[in-house]
Order: sequence, then C-alpha cells, then structure tokens
Amino acid sequence: MDWSLIFELSLKGLIGINAVYFAIAAIGLNVQFGYTGLLNFGQAGFMACGAYGLGMTAHYFEISFWWGIPLGILFSLLLGLLMGIPTLRLRADYLAIVTIAAAEIIRLVVRSVRFKHYFGGSDGINRFAQPFREVGADFGIDQTQLYGFGPFTFTGRELWTMIVGWSLVALIGYLVYKLMKSPWGRVLKAIREDEDAVRSLGKNVYSYKMQSLLLGGVIGTISGMIFALDRGSVQPDNYSRDVTFYILTALVLGGVAKVSGSIIGPMLFWLIFTFLDNFLRQVADKPIKIGNFTIMQSTQVGQVNFMLVGLTLILLMVYRPQGIFGNRQEMAFDGR
Amino acid sequence: MDAETTMSPAARMAREALATCAASPGVAKPDPILVADSVRRKFGGITAVDVDHLEVQRGSITALIGPNGAGKTTLFNLLTGFDSVDEGRWSFDGRSMGRAAPHRMAKLGMVRTFQLTKSLTKLSVIENMRLGATEQIGEKWWNGLIDARWRKQEAAITERAEELLERFKLSHMRDEYAGALSGGQRKLLEMARALMTNPILVMLDEPMAGVNPALKQSLNEHIRGLRDEGMTVLFVEHDMDMVHDISDWVVVMAEGRVIAEGTPDAISSNPAVIDAYLGAHQGRSLLEDQP
Amino acid sequence: MAECRRRWPVRMFLGLGVLLVAAGMTSSAVSAEDIAIRVQVKEQNRDESGKVDNQPVVGVEIVITDASGTEVGRGVTAEDGVVVVPVPGRADYTVELLEDSLPDGQSLSPQSPPVQSIAEDSFVTATKTLNFFTGESQRVTDTAFERVAQRFSDGFRLGLVLAMCAVGLSLIFGTTGLTNFAHGEMVTFGGLAAFVFNITGLTFLGFLDFLPGVYPDGRFHVIWATILAAVFGGLFGWALNAGIFLKLRRRGIGLVTQMVLTVGLSILLKNFFLSRFGGRTRPFREYSLQKALDIGPISITPRDLTVSIISIFILVAVALTLRYTRLGKATRAVSDNPDLASATGIDSERVIRLVWIAGGALAALGGVFRGLDEQVSFEMGGRLLFLMFAAITLGGLGSAFGALIGGIVVGVLVEMASLVVPTELKTTPALAILILVLLFRPQGLLGKAQRVG
Repeated sequence: MDWSLIFELSLKGLIGINAVYFAIAAIGLNVQFGYTGLLNFGQAGFMACGAYGLGMTAHYFEISFWWGIPLGILFSLLLGLLMGIPTLRLRADYLAIVTIAAAEIIRLVVRSVRFKHYFGGSDGINRFAQPFREVGADFGIDQTQLYGFGPFTFTGRELWTMIVGWSLVALIGYLVYKLMKSPWGRVLKAIREDEDAVRSLGKNVYSYKMQSLLLGGVIGTISGMIFALDRGSVQPDNYSRDVTFYILTALVLGGVAKVSGSIIGPMLFWLIFTFLDNFLRQVADKPIKIGNFTIMQSTQVGQVNFMLVGLTLILLMVYRPQGIFGNRQEMAFDGR
Repeated sequence: MDAETTMSPAARMAREALATCAASPGVAKPDPILVADSVRRKFGGITAVDVDHLEVQRGSITALIGPNGAGKTTLFNLLTGFDSVDEGRWSFDGRSMGRAAPHRMAKLGMVRTFQLTKSLTKLSVIENMRLGATEQIGEKWWNGLIDARWRKQEAAITERAEELLERFKLSHMRDEYAGALSGGQRKLLEMARALMTNPILVMLDEPMAGVNPALKQSLNEHIRGLRDEGMTVLFVEHDMDMVHDISDWVVVMAEGRVIAEGTPDAISSNPAVIDAYLGAHQGRSLLEDQP
Repeated sequence: MAECRRRWPVRMFLGLGVLLVAAGMTSSAVSAEDIAIRVQVKEQNRDESGKVDNQPVVGVEIVITDASGTEVGRGVTAEDGVVVVPVPGRADYTVELLEDSLPDGQSLSPQSPPVQSIAEDSFVTATKTLNFFTGESQRVTDTAFERVAQRFSDGFRLGLVLAMCAVGLSLIFGTTGLTNFAHGEMVTFGGLAAFVFNITGLTFLGFLDFLPGVYPDGRFHVIWATILAAVFGGLFGWALNAGIFLKLRRRGIGLVTQMVLTVGLSILLKNFFLSRFGGRTRPFREYSLQKALDIGPISITPRDLTVSIISIFILVAVALTLRYTRLGKATRAVSDNPDLASATGIDSERVIRLVWIAGGALAALGGVFRGLDEQVSFEMGGRLLFLMFAAITLGGLGSAFGALIGGIVVGVLVEMASLVVPTELKTTPALAILILVLLFRPQGLLGKAQRVG
C-alpha cells in the first residue's frame, strides 16, 4: 500500500479543479436549494449551458471565444425561464421533476447525431480553450511547466485554471454572502420557510423564486465554463443527472444555507472521494473474496465509491441534514 | 363588563355609524372599506362560499363567525387573493378587485394573519419584523449587493420594528429565533409583523386559537388598539366571549352564506344564528354516529 | 422512541439485505466496461401468406474494424443467428458482413448494406446491436399507415410498462407526499432480480427441480423468475418503507429531506446494480428471439403480445381493486386527504405499507416486462424515471387512475414521436407534456382541481 501516493492525490483533490467547479456549482445550488428551498435537480443542465456556450463559439458560430461567456449565460437564463415559468407557482416537487427532465433532454439533444452540427454529437467540442490559456501565458504561466511543491504540484495549464477558478469561487462566494445578508436574501430565506407568509406581507414570491433560480443557474453556468476550460473540451456525458446529485451531496456535506458550507463541502467531497478511490484501488488490486463470492475487484472500485456517495447522502439526511458545519437552528431547506 | 365607560373615541364612532344599519344580511354600511358582490367558490361539488353581498365598515372591528365549514377561512382566502373566486367581484378601498395576487392585496393595504401561525421560525424575531416592511430598496437584488443603498432605510425599519416589539412586549426576544417563542408570542409576532406593512385593513384568522387565557386579554387590547389607530379589523373567531367583548359588528356565516349580521348583542339573541349553530352540531353528531 | 432510534439503522440494513440476497449473487462482477458489438443476421423471406419469418442465419462471418481501418475482431453467427464480438471500447467502428459466407441461395436484402458503421455515441449501453437482413425486407412494403400502427403498438407496450411502474410512484406520493426519485431503481431491481433467478441461478434452490420449470442448477424458467421478481419487488418496497421511510415519518422528518434521501438511495442502488451486473444489456434465457406475428398492420412477437395481455389484466385488476375493494377505497381516501382519512378511522400507516409493497411489486413486474422487451441493464429503470414523472404529472400526482392513463399516453406519444423526430430524441415530447400540463392544467387530467402552491 502506497500511503504517500494516496495522501498526495487526496490533498490534490482538496484544492484541485474538481473541487473548484463543484464549489461554484454548489454555491449556485445553495442559492436555490439552501436559501430559497427550490429543488433544482438539473444543475448539470445549467453547467452544460456554460460549457456549450464556450464551445459553440468556435464550433458553430465561428466568433471570438470570449463571446462564449455572455452566450452561455444567455442559454442558462433561457433554461431557467423554461424550467421556472411552469413550476414556480406550484409545489416544490414539480420543479425537481421538470429540472431533472430538462437536464436529461439537454444531454440527449447535445449528444444527438441530428444536432451534431451545432453541438458536436457525443464527441462534444474540443480544443477551444486556447484563447483562455493564452491569457495565462500572458501572465507568465507556462502551460507545460510544473509549478508548486510537495503534493501541490500542478502543470501550468492546471494552475492557471485553478487560479481563475478559485478567484471566481472567492468572488461569487463573497457576492452571494453579501446578497444573503441583504433584505433580498431575507426574503429568499423567508420563502424557504413559508411562502404564504411572505405573500401575505406583499412580496411577489414568484418573482423572487425566479430570481433565485436564475441567479443559481447562472452561477452553475460559470461552473460549467470552468470545467470546460480545464478540459479544453465539452462532452455531453459529463452533464448527466448524476453530476447534479454528486454536487448536491457535496453541498449537503458542507452544510446548506451557508456560503462556507458550499465551498468546504465540495473540497471535503473530493478529498474523501479521491482518498477512497485510490485507497480502494490499491486494496482491490486482487479481488476480495469471501469463499466464492467476490466482494470487490478493481473494476468495481468506481461503483463502490459512488455507492458510498449515495450512502453518505442518505446518512446525512437521516442524522445531520444541516451538514457537517451547518447550524441546525438556522438550517432549513425543510421549513415545515 | 361595562363597555361604554371604557370606550375609545374610535370605538364610539364605529358603533354609532353601525347603529344606523339594520341587522339583516347584506346590509349597506355608511362607509364600507370592503364590498363583496356575488362571491362564489366551489370545491368539487361543494359550494364553500356563496356570499351575495357583504360590506365591512371602515374603522370598525368586524367579527366573522359561524360553525365549522361555514366558509369563513375560504372567504378570507378569496378576499386576500390566496384563492380565486369562481364568480363574483369585490372592491377594496374603492378599488375593484378581480383576481388579485396576494402580494398585490398586501401592497394595497390589506394584510392577513393565518389560522396556523406562520412565524418564520428559522429567522430571528427582529428579522421577521423587518421582513414585514414594504417598499424596501434592498429587496431588489442589485441594490442588495451595495450596502450603502439600503443601510439607512434598514435602520429606520429596525427602529419601527423595535417600537412595535416594545408595544407587543416582545423586545426581550428581539434576537431569538422565532422558533423559540411560545404559541401566544408567535401570534403576537405575526400581528406585529403584519403591522409593519402599514395596513389599512387587518384580517385576523382565529387570533385566539391556541393562546393561553392570560395572553388573550392583552391580545384583545392590541386588536382594539388597531382600530383606535384608524385601522379596520376583520377577524374570524370561535371564542364567543371575545367576539362579544371587542367587536363592533358581527357577521354570521353558515354553509357558505351570510345568514345574519348585526351588533354583538343583536346577534347573540338572533334565532337564525342559534339555529345555525345547533343545526351544525346536530349534523355533526349524526355523522359521527355512522359506522 | 430512543429504542426505536437505536434499532432502525439495523432494520434499514436488513431491508437492504433483501436486495443483497437477490442481486448480490449475479454473475460475480462483470467488468463495467465490457464493450461488445452484437450482430444478428435474420432471414426475412416472406412465405405464401406474405408473412415475414425472422429465421436466424447461421455461420455468417462478421469483421469489425476501427476508425483507422485496423481489424479489432471477427466472429461467426451461431445457432440463433447472433454473434457477440468484444471490442476495445466505445468508439467508431465499421462492421462488415462477408457476403461469401452467407448460406447458398441467400443474399442480403437491398435495404441491408453489407457494411454498416457504428458511431461511438450509439453505444447507449455497453452492447450495441446491429441487424443484417437477408431476403426481401419487410420494411420495403411498410406503408405510412403500417408504420404509424406499428409505432402505436410499440408505444402502447411501453405505455403499459410505464403505467405499471408509475402507479406505485403516484400512490406513494398520494399517501405520503413523497416524490420517490429512487423509483426507477425499484424497476431495475425487478428486472435484475428476474435475471438472477433466470440466468444466474441460485444453486441452493436446486433441490426445487421437481417443479416444472426449475432446473437442478437453481435456475428458474422466466415465468417463475417473473413471479419471484414481483414477490421480491414487493418485499423490497416493504423494506424501504419499514426500514427507512416509516422511521422518518415517525420522527417528523420533512418531505424535502426525505426526497433528497431518495436521491441518495438512487445513487446507491444504481451503482450497486452496476457493480454487480456490469454495464451490459442482457436478455432472459427464454423467449429472447422470436418470430414476429403479423396482426393486421402490426408485427408483434408472441412474447410481447402475451406480456401486453398480462399487463392489461394486471392493470385492470389494480384499477378494480382500487375502485371496489375496501382496501382500494381506503387507499384512495388516504391519497385524497390523509387527515380526513385518519379521522374516519382508516389506519393510514397500514395503507402506506400496502402501497409500498404493491408499488414495489408492480415496479418490479414492470422491470421484468421491460427486460423481456428490451433486455435487462443496470439503468433500465433510471431511464424510465422521467417518463414516469411525465406520466403521473399528466394523470395527476397522487391519482392511481391518472397514472394508468398518463403512462399509456406518454408511452404512445414517445414512440409515435419517433416517426417525426430522430429516435435518439424520442423522449423529448415527455418534457413538452410536463411543461404544458404544468402550465395549463397543473392538477393533471384526473387530479382534483385545487389550489397548488
């Protein structure tokens, strides 16, 4: 067992690009779910909006890469309206159902042969991040050189994406924190607890819910952009239902209705996930058996790890719905 | 208890104005703030509300009573926009209302409370109060980002909230989560929060339900206080002592209709009212005997 | 209360134990990434009456090359006209049928080119199936009417499965308020449980071989497997309720928390299925390859016909039970108004338990039937989840009859849609239904007209 390798990789997971894009997506989900009580199970759809917005500039529109940012945001606003208009007047379940369905359809459409011309089919769109990386080079970060120390060693390409990513986490986190301390955030928190009470006080609940859904969606879109920039590509299967569920797990792990929770949660998620992944991989080097019954072999490590994600979410919901760092008195995605 | 000796000028005005009205369902009032015409609402096959005509006198305390299932709460929901009528129309403060959304009604000055208290338990008491204030600059997200835009207004709101908390004897709980309050205190908080909207008509749905007797008296005082400050109060209540005690006018509903109106004294001796209550009780006991 | 709290996780795992027994013994650990191409060669000559017989063609040689033209595998069709060729992974391939290897007197039909290509994204599951036809293809003579009729019939079959799966989902919602995002996995559970009984076999049950359809190696005929899957599905539903949701309700845990929990359950189960069953799509032992019957414009295999008839019987039985029996009435009463129902002396917990058991059994049955039609895979139920949601939203959340009707309508619409949109996008109408229903009739077709939200 190579413990030093396991710990090295795990620590990289803590601050790596996965934690970055999960954190941004989780902040967005937190605005919707943690603060407003909106069940958006289609965050992956919003992320796809951002990734494809960037990708399509080169692949289809043949315009400057930088137009991808407003384009992605536009896509996500349209998606948010499509999801929100039919559901936000109804009980919470309907939003969950529609978001899950819409995200799934988006994935099918972008991977379809029919629309390959626009979205590149199942191969997605590749090699469009060059303009972004050139900016990194302008700041003196060599794409291929290694930077850092000990376990925290990254290539210039990774480092540049991480610098931008963590800056965005800090900026978005700060803005959301400010918003939630403002009267606007107060209305959202009140809606989470009891819509009717808020209505009776003269607030247009529908409008606030829509604002929250769109804001969270746009933040999710930014997360999708960072993820796509890191890879330099978009693949439709990176935006499946499961991704939303994992982000939700990471958020709940850190604690809902807290900005810090939505940043620490994803970091912890990837620390633990990377640790388990590497640990189990080494453990299951030879199939583990009881008698003739194989408990686990190396090809199953990924699935066992995701099973643990599911189990974690279950146990959190039963024993600590406020998350590890959440405050039970304040936490309330379930006001009733 | 001799009400006459303790009566405030506002109360006297209300009673005098209403004294001219005949004690019959749908009677016109001298200065109505709320007028409902042919308001009907059906659920499935059952007509929950079927009110031909109803007026509420401005500046009065009007009680809405009736047996269970009489449609009182449904009527409340209709008038406050929480439910929409199948047919009929009503006007509030001279404005004709169609299918107004609840938040619009609240903005026009009609605020309500709920039968089951809706204090927002995970917000502090003072945040509950601040939420009630209308026209807040900081409730627009682009302003929310910039403290300077809303801090000043927030301070003013807080000051007013603190005054109201003082009046409702909740100051000591200012920074507690509303969830920490007792049932009666939550009723008070809900009422105080409603006042933050600067209403002209306050609609209270069973303000006394679940409130201990000690607190009832002070709640009564608070409701009288609202009228004395010029607000109109319409409330649903089962506690007949309280109804008799504080209301200037009583409206009785049964099976969705207004069956009687009048001063508290006139109502308590009205045979139709006694009949409605007795009838309802007989009906219920029949149901219960069924296997 | 304290005691109940201590014991319940144990029970929860006991509940999951049911699952382990059934699914845990599947072919121990198939790699999730066993990618293969399955080629079927069928003869489609018409007989005198004009019927097509899908006779398997044996001994035909197949060569598979990758995008660079390198050969990655070859094989020869077996008795059933099928050959499965493993390939290195999901990628673009070209599949060529060597026409020289066709039996004498047979040639590929004009509509079936000897070289077919597979795009990477067409590997929806780990196994991609390709068909070659010899003789005159039936498709030539398909009229527009026949195509519509055929799609309708396929859609109706899908609809029956959806209806069967969705009834439980809708009733669980109606009686407890919970939207169960793990319901798809309950469907998969049924399909996989039947697969375990049918293909893997449970050796310790071999002593039952005196029964017709039970083999000494502990395998069961698919009819047995179906029944057993339904029984275990019911047990699974019971276990989920007793082990998890009953406790949560007692502790007064909110619905949103419960809903997020079902998301965790879905992740857990799906990956469990994947780890044990692998990523492949696999058929049951019996009835997997059948000659289609032509009934009017529709061609349907006897298997699908039988399954459809059984499904209709089951759904009618469910409807009659709900409509006329005491229990059914109680269920609908709880679903309509839980408070009122318990005030009238109905034991709502008993009703909820029953709904979970029946819902689990029906979902499992739906899984088996879907598996007979489309083969079994670890995400067969998850793929149906949002169609089920569309079905119950259309029918009215909480209404059992609504779920039946909604399921069939959604099934038919989805299959019919493939007449106008590419097959890969045929589920898009389900999203359209969802959005339109919520915009214009949020209570659904049969839901109570009430103020929602």
